[in-house]
Amino acid sequence: MITIENIEYSYDGALKKALDGVSLEIGDGEFVAIVGHNGSGKSTLAKMLNALLLPDEGSVSVFGMATSDEEKTLDIRKKVGIVFQNPDNQIVTTVVEEDVGFGPENLGVPTTEIIERVHNALDAVGMLDYAKHAPHMLSGGQKQRIAIAGVLAIDPDVLVFDEATAMLDPLGRKAVIEIASRLNKEKGKTVVMITQYMEEVIAADRVIVMNGGKVAMTGTPEEIFKRGNELRALRLDVPVMVELRDMLQAEGLIPENDALSVSEMAEVICRSLLKN
Amino acid sequence: MLKDITLGQYVPGDSVLHRLDPRTKILLMIAYIVAVFLVKRIEVFPVIIIFTVGVTLLSRVRLSYLVKALKPMKLLLPLMFLMNLFLIKTGDLLVEWWIFKIYKDGLINAVFIVLRLATLVAGTSLLTLTTTPIALTDGLEKLLSPLKVIKFPAHELAMMMTIALRFIPTLVEEADKIMKAQLARGADFESGNIIKRAKAMIPILIPLFVNSFRRADELAMAMESRCYHGGEGRTKMRVYSFKTIDLIAFIAMALLIACIVIMNKFMPNIF
Amino acid sequence: MPIIVEKLTHTYMPNTDNEFVAVEDITLTINDGEFFGIIGHTGSGKSTFIQHLNGLMQPTGGSVTVDGFDMSDKKQRAKGRALVGMVFQYPDYQLFDSTVLDDVSFGPKNMGLDAEEAKQRSIEAMRMVGLDPELFAEKSPFELSGGEKRRAALAGIIAMRPKYLVLDEPMAGLDPSGRREILATINSLRDELNCTVIMVSHSMEDVARSAERIAVMNDGRLYALGTPDEIFSRTKELISLGLDAPQTARLAQELRERGFEVPEDIYTNERFVSWLKGRMNDA
Repeated sequence: MITIENIEYSYDGALKKALDGVSLEIGDGEFVAIVGHNGSGKSTLAKMLNALLLPDEGSVSVFGMATSDEEKTLDIRKKVGIVFQNPDNQIVTTVVEEDVGFGPENLGVPTTEIIERVHNALDAVGMLDYAKHAPHMLSGGQKQRIAIAGVLAIDPDVLVFDEATAMLDPLGRKAVIEIASRLNKEKGKTVVMITQYMEEVIAADRVIVMNGGKVAMTGTPEEIFKRGNELRALRLDVPVMVELRDMLQAEGLIPENDALSVSEMAEVICRSLLKN
Repeated sequence: MLKDITLGQYVPGDSVLHRLDPRTKILLMIAYIVAVFLVKRIEVFPVIIIFTVGVTLLSRVRLSYLVKALKPMKLLLPLMFLMNLFLIKTGDLLVEWWIFKIYKDGLINAVFIVLRLATLVAGTSLLTLTTTPIALTDGLEKLLSPLKVIKFPAHELAMMMTIALRFIPTLVEEADKIMKAQLARGADFESGNIIKRAKAMIPILIPLFVNSFRRADELAMAMESRCYHGGEGRTKMRVYSFKTIDLIAFIAMALLIACIVIMNKFMPNIF
Repeated sequence: MPIIVEKLTHTYMPNTDNEFVAVEDITLTINDGEFFGIIGHTGSGKSTFIQHLNGLMQPTGGSVTVDGFDMSDKKQRAKGRALVGMVFQYPDYQLFDSTVLDDVSFGPKNMGLDAEEAKQRSIEAMRMVGLDPELFAEKSPFELSGGEKRRAALAGIIAMRPKYLVLDEPMAGLDPSGRREILATINSLRDELNCTVIMVSHSMEDVARSAERIAVMNDGRLYALGTPDEIFSRTKELISLGLDAPQTARLAQELRERGFEVPEDIYTNERFVSWLKGRMNDA
């Protein structure tokens, strides 16, 4: 459980506050999506979650530990792992399996256990076959899966994806989202998905929309997407299927519904067509 | 493609030499250099040559790789040979032609120096041919770690080498992309004098530096996020341990050195 | 005059162990003034392909001619290259100078224009891409936001007045509004400059909305070439290639699989609504 209380943060020399009074709670096992346009403060917020940044004002508490407590920094990072945006800039060594082992090595985990953890982590992201490969020869999506495995090997309770899909192609993006949902559902990991792609928000339990360093909206995906005009005003969008749903509802072609994905829409339209 | 470049010259394999502990190999390389310099007389040199060829055969690395390692010396070797041949003027006069005079000591010395340089380079290149850069880094870190007592940053040095090895291919690729982006804007890297060409590099170097600093920043943050806090209390995923083959290798080297010392002393003069 | 690509093949490191055929036997023509989309997943050869269009790479087989200039010929290549502006995916690869204006002027100066004309063109280009010269000319390009950097990079190419504008993933990494705005800018540039646009994109929605013709690349080959109607009527195939069809096309496909007859040219929301309306009214 992560509790964020009224935090503020400014980067050195910046005129505007990157975070301006954010309060938030993230429960165990939750899948939370944080969306917002470039510069809305969402990535700054991500780095607050495991003490990479410390708030100027307010407090962040991770499983009861304050991120401002330096002695707890390592324990906090064991609980909260972050997958960053650029896959290249988070892979440290020249062999895939050694990179995945980097976190456990830092924690002083015994060698036999590191090997086991690396194996399991690579298995979880479907990259076991690449254990001996050189990272720079992999595709962006594959590198990002290695980065996820690197975080998993530390065995955190909370996984933060800090725009981890922004630099990937559609296939890579899909793989990352699938892994995130699976870790949430099957392993009970808390997932915080920070993104600009509204399609990636659909699977979340709760969506938090950031704007100007503040929380602008929160709610379930259904609730958020009902407010399409507000989203657009915040430089965001609704998923293509939600746009279609709204258009069809406005024409009175389908009844009120909560369909967000292609298959849900197909279901709704099917029913309407058959009724007709 | 540029990203296919391999660093160092590691030849993958599973030979005895590949399986030796990197620490053993580093230490043996030093011992080998000592052995080569211990040879005082040309009569003893065949021992080194036989040893080097023998080890190469054991490594299953093709001999052509050793020849390739000698390529950068294709100017130095003949030069050393000729200098020794003509500048040493002791011993019997062997050949005289116009102003050139070749003496026996000159010839022997010339052959000796070329053999010494060639075996040094070929023999030591076996280390990098059979050891991955990362294993070398690990080996160095382990060997240097006793120096931590006098505050020598063995871990930090090894970490820096690892990161450099990891990012060199990435940066080479990036430099290539930047160059293309500027070429597309009509940049000209090929014409003009040196100063003009150096100036033409600015549009490549600045984006490369700016991007590298950002990379460094992001990497530092990612490493911290993954609980990196220096070398203290760190374990290693890959553990090296001295095995029987390492012991055998040390004994073989000791025998070589003993051989050389004894032969230096007792081998009869041939020349 | 168009860009004519004939039997284009590019092999990396030919006759070695690492030989790799990146593009193979591509024949197509890009007509004057058209908006030409290129889609294909990573590694399909599309970025190798577009680098041939302005001679950054030379064919190892076949030929590329731009307005009659043979891009394999060193002298003609320079002339051809001057016609083709190329905007790379990440603006960070090209921004280097101390001010945005200087950076945008880099290209025009390389073309041999005098300082005044280069400046005029650069200011005009900045205006066209939506970077107010008053506000941005003297700023450092490294202070800009992601979207602004992208515009500055685009201006640097526009200032060279290319006849063909090649864009590699111009919207990647931008937020939804940023994506919409850049796409709108590209469309307005096309009208204003009367230039041909060649755009590589992962976003099927964007390609579907803007492109007049689309080339689908797969495994280094030209898999399909046609109008969006023709291409997206093959949604099922696109998905099997690992490509992302527009979501509305996927929806139409799913309905077809459930036994409904949905016409093949339905891949945008607007068309879907009018189709469903028609169908409901008929019934």
